[in-house]
Amino acid sequence: MKTKTTTLLSALAALAVAGCGKAPETAPAENTTQPQAPAAAAESKQLSIYCWSEYIPQSVIDEFAARTGIKVSVENYASNEEMLAKLGAGGGNYDIIQPSEYVVEALVKENLLHPIDHSKIPNLKNLSPQFLNLPFDPGNKFSVPFMAGTVGIVWNTELITGDIKGFSDVFKPENKDKIVVLDDAREIVSWALLSQGIPVNDVSDGNLEKARGVLANWLPLVKVYDSDSPKTALLNGDVAIGVVWGGEGAILLNEDKKFRWAVPAEGTHLFIDSLAIPKDAKNVANAEAFMNFILQPEISKQISDAFPYTNPNLEARKLLTAEQLANPASFPTDEEIAKMETFKDVGAQSSKIDELVTSLKVQ
Amino acid sequence: MAGLAAAPGANDAQNYRRAPGLFAWLVLAPLLAWLVLFVVAPTVMLVAVSFAERDALGRIVWIFTTENYVRAFDWLWLKVLLVSVWYAFLTTVICMAVGYPVAYTIGRAPPRWRSLLLMLVMVPFWTSFLIRTYAWITILSKEGLVNSMLLNAGFISQPVALLYTPFAIVLGLVYNFLPFMILPIYTSVEKLDNAMIEAAYDLGAGPLRAFSQVIIPLTRPGIAAGAMLVFVPSIAMFAITTLMGGGTNPTIGEVIFKQFTSGRNQPFGAALGTLLLLIFILALWLTRKHREENA
Repeated sequence: MKTKTTTLLSALAALAVAGCGKAPETAPAENTTQPQAPAAAAESKQLSIYCWSEYIPQSVIDEFAARTGIKVSVENYASNEEMLAKLGAGGGNYDIIQPSEYVVEALVKENLLHPIDHSKIPNLKNLSPQFLNLPFDPGNKFSVPFMAGTVGIVWNTELITGDIKGFSDVFKPENKDKIVVLDDAREIVSWALLSQGIPVNDVSDGNLEKARGVLANWLPLVKVYDSDSPKTALLNGDVAIGVVWGGEGAILLNEDKKFRWAVPAEGTHLFIDSLAIPKDAKNVANAEAFMNFILQPEISKQISDAFPYTNPNLEARKLLTAEQLANPASFPTDEEIAKMETFKDVGAQSSKIDELVTSLKVQ
Repeated sequence: MAGLAAAPGANDAQNYRRAPGLFAWLVLAPLLAWLVLFVVAPTVMLVAVSFAERDALGRIVWIFTTENYVRAFDWLWLKVLLVSVWYAFLTTVICMAVGYPVAYTIGRAPPRWRSLLLMLVMVPFWTSFLIRTYAWITILSKEGLVNSMLLNAGFISQPVALLYTPFAIVLGLVYNFLPFMILPIYTSVEKLDNAMIEAAYDLGAGPLRAFSQVIIPLTRPGIAAGAMLVFVPSIAMFAITTLMGGGTNPTIGEVIFKQFTSGRNQPFGAALGTLLLLIFILALWLTRKHREENA
């Protein structure tokens, strides 16, 4: 906490100095890993970021602005679809967006992304090959991994006794009204599919009917649906067990030793949130400079400190404490990751998936 | 707006008085522009989108279809609507029961007290309603204020589930919309003619009769306005119902919100929105007709 405040203060101080001196170009002198700074200076000194809320710490954005003299504006969204809707409607002139893997795939398919010049992002070498060159964007032509993460089970050992291994241990009649799950139809349906041994991307009508059979038993047991902050209901003691984002689970584990974490035995979803440049972006060089910036180990570490998801940056991981690295919700083991699946874009089926979950909630 | 034009067949003197001049139009222009920009245009867009299709990314495709409406009449969505109407109805009734005595007391209080009391009603509006809703979460949770007080006092031995229940939803709605009931009723009460009430007593009415046959009818405009101001936004409210209800029992506002986001189906969301709008128009029209028949 203390270190974070210090960085923030120094960033602010740097910002103030840069502002007064009107000579921001000289600021990145100390920063040897930014050969693109002169290029960025050639075009307009602006960068417009459209990203998830609670994902890029303000201190990181301030530091980027202070070091490069680029004026950064940030807008937030709460779901991939919200971002897609705005992008699809031609709204906003964004230079950087932060789509999840299946959305990158869809955006590439629709030819909506600007290719990335790898020579401008030397820090790509810091990333673990585990998160590069994946099927949603072969060769990472259009996207740079930002954070990865998973969905797993977290429970309060004071209220739940017995071992929890998978979804079948969560959705049991004795846990009725003690469960929080993500308010995300695609996620919920993928758990039901996994419990039937069906791959998460196999969302044919027939498989959705099978999922309906499972969820008809599961969803009446759920007390709270919350994607934004499922940890709240667990911390307040209103529920005892939850299926939540890894980052949320990691925070709970740090908060209190009574919480435990498990990667579902049936398998689970591995998500990879990336940075990408929309096709009609105005400040491509600045966007690439930002990508390179957040891939610096010490910057990436700051992001991990604030939002403990799975950091794909191996150099940054070296800077994390042993405790951070040992958090099973932040860093699943390689065997666990091998069993996880990433989402593929399911297009118009998403409407059916949404209706399926809504219909079961209403009953 | 048709009312602004002169009625055909009226004589010249009337025409002169009733047709607004250039100056009047200039004064009205900002309001008209506002109405066109923020009421007419969005409504036209909503209706247009509701007849369109969408592609895999959720972008609107301008092909005419009525499929969204066919789907909207599924029993599933009607059930969602009925649940929302039920919550809104409960909210309105409770707001009326709680708000009327408050508004009456304020309206009949000595004038120097009135503004202070009214200000107290308005004070919660100074903070964002989301923050106030989050405050309720800390009050109602199992380790929250209410439960710990009840536990300490020995009234209960196990924490009671208050949050994430229908009770919490209605409580949240009542809390947020109560001032919208109090203020219009207060305006009616303030205008109450004391002579009328005294006349009722002089003519032999007891307090109960004076209240039900004189005071209530005289303040009816305030009650009607308050009911409308509470009922209409309660139906479509989704933030409170999601946060305090935990997302079980989705309401129509929540379902429409989901169509525009994770459902990637703006046209269907627009169709549901248009239907909701039609229901409101119908309800307003029926109340007006009823009132005209009574008058």
